[in-house]
Amino acid sequence: MIYSYIKPRKKSIFTEDMQLLVTFFTITLLMLFLTYAFLLYKDYSFTTQKKESLAKQKAVLSHVDKLEGEISKIEEQKNLSEKIFTKNIVLKDSISNLFDLVPVRITLSRAELLENGLILYGITPNKDVYNFMLQAPLRSIFHRTYSSFYPAQNGWLRFVSTNYIDEEEKYIDEK
Amino acid sequence: MLSRLFEALYNKVLVNIVVKRASFDIYIEILSKKDVVSHLQKSFDTLSVSREMIEYIQSYTKESPYHYIAVLNMSADQGAIVGCEKKKLQEFEEKHAVQYMCHEKKWAHYSDKEAIKMIMKSYKEIGCDYIFSPYSLLVDFFKDKVNGPTAMFVLMQDSFVTLAIFEQGELLYAEHLDMQTSGEYDDEILSQTIENDDNIDFSDQAGIDLEDVSVLDNMEELEDLDDFGDIEDLDSIEEIDEFSENKDLEEEFHDVVEEPSPETESSFNEDYQRFSLIQSALGNYYTDEETESQFIENVYIADGVSMSSDLKRYLEEEMFLNVYIRQTNIGTELAELVKMELSL
Repeated sequence: MIYSYIKPRKKSIFTEDMQLLVTFFTITLLMLFLTYAFLLYKDYSFTTQKKESLAKQKAVLSHVDKLEGEISKIEEQKNLSEKIFTKNIVLKDSISNLFDLVPVRITLSRAELLENGLILYGITPNKDVYNFMLQAPLRSIFHRTYSSFYPAQNGWLRFVSTNYIDEEEKYIDEK
Repeated sequence: MLSRLFEALYNKVLVNIVVKRASFDIYIEILSKKDVVSHLQKSFDTLSVSREMIEYIQSYTKESPYHYIAVLNMSADQGAIVGCEKKKLQEFEEKHAVQYMCHEKKWAHYSDKEAIKMIMKSYKEIGCDYIFSPYSLLVDFFKDKVNGPTAMFVLMQDSFVTLAIFEQGELLYAEHLDMQTSGEYDDEILSQTIENDDNIDFSDQAGIDLEDVSVLDNMEELEDLDDFGDIEDLDSIEEIDEFSENKDLEEEFHDVVEEPSPETESSFNEDYQRFSLIQSALGNYYTDEETESQFIENVYIADGVSMSSDLKRYLEEEMFLNVYIRQTNIGTELAELVKMELSL
């Protein structure tokens, strides 16, 4: 203030027009930043979700693999059980057939089922009864049949019949 | 720092308002840094701040936030005083309810506080940044002469005459004269003169009045006046030696050879009023006991109203003064003051 009685008003570039312009641009920029921030958040959210989903997928796949393993194991067990069941039925039938083979005059005291054979212990009135009525059918079933006799106290003969099925021949038969 | 950067980006708009008797002169200067880009002037025939004027100013001030509105203080209650002692000025301020401004710690100009408030109130809608005293304008306009030998400096305005006497930059005497008030006073006296058919005694004003001249019918006295005319010429020649600056000479010779323009009765009356006021002020200066009176030889007039050559003639012929007139546009000078305030 050199000559003037009053001091000049403080000058600012923020005139009414400028204020309007600045407000407009501020709002626009704010909206842009908010949109950008929202997109960033969404992007982050989607990335996190994607990671979580991938982890879940991985876990599910792993679980599926595990389940598949278990299923295959169970199927194997099932097959095995079916096989055993079938075998048991076959065995049952075989035993039933076996007992059907035994004539009334021969008495079995013990029977041992082997994997590829059968051992029968019993009493027969004589060798002929045994040879004709039991050994003949056994020979038709088993490949090798061995019989041994020793006398019992009542005059009958105790016998031990050992019968084997050869695996190779069995395979050929099955074919 | 940032404000300076913004300031450099924008143009500066200087709006200078000069209030006249029945009009407002608006001088607008647009600056880019320190260079004047454009300037324009418009006059509004209105007695108060009008809507049209406000809109005109606002159309320019809206262009830049760095706009400055300057007003020349036209109130009658203002003046200038000798010295710049703080204690003395504070006493003066309290006594007269004025606001003062010290000028180069040599002298001070003052204005009525209410007048300043009134100006600010008048321009409330557009605002006001600077209110300048006519003395500041006068001193700035004659800065090349103020620090010289004793001389009287006069600023001619539409309704005011601002007068100051300086010697080597020191203020000796100052008066701010209202033409309207004094005009009424003069008219009153003139009417009394006509009614009483009597001469007016201006002896207390220690000067020569035109009335005394007009009743001269003595041929010897008329011859004396012719001699005074010769004296004027001699003075002019002396001035060539004393004032080596060509400008004054040009001004003086320009006025001497100037063809008299068609004068209306009103302009004659106004010039007569101005002459009376100057004569009266000079008389007061010579008779003032508080000031050490020195003989005034040279008068420098800043003509802001395009006055007629009569005034110069009156002053030269009746008061034996060397009159130097410089035409001035008060609006432009106001703009110069604003630039000084802004250090441009």
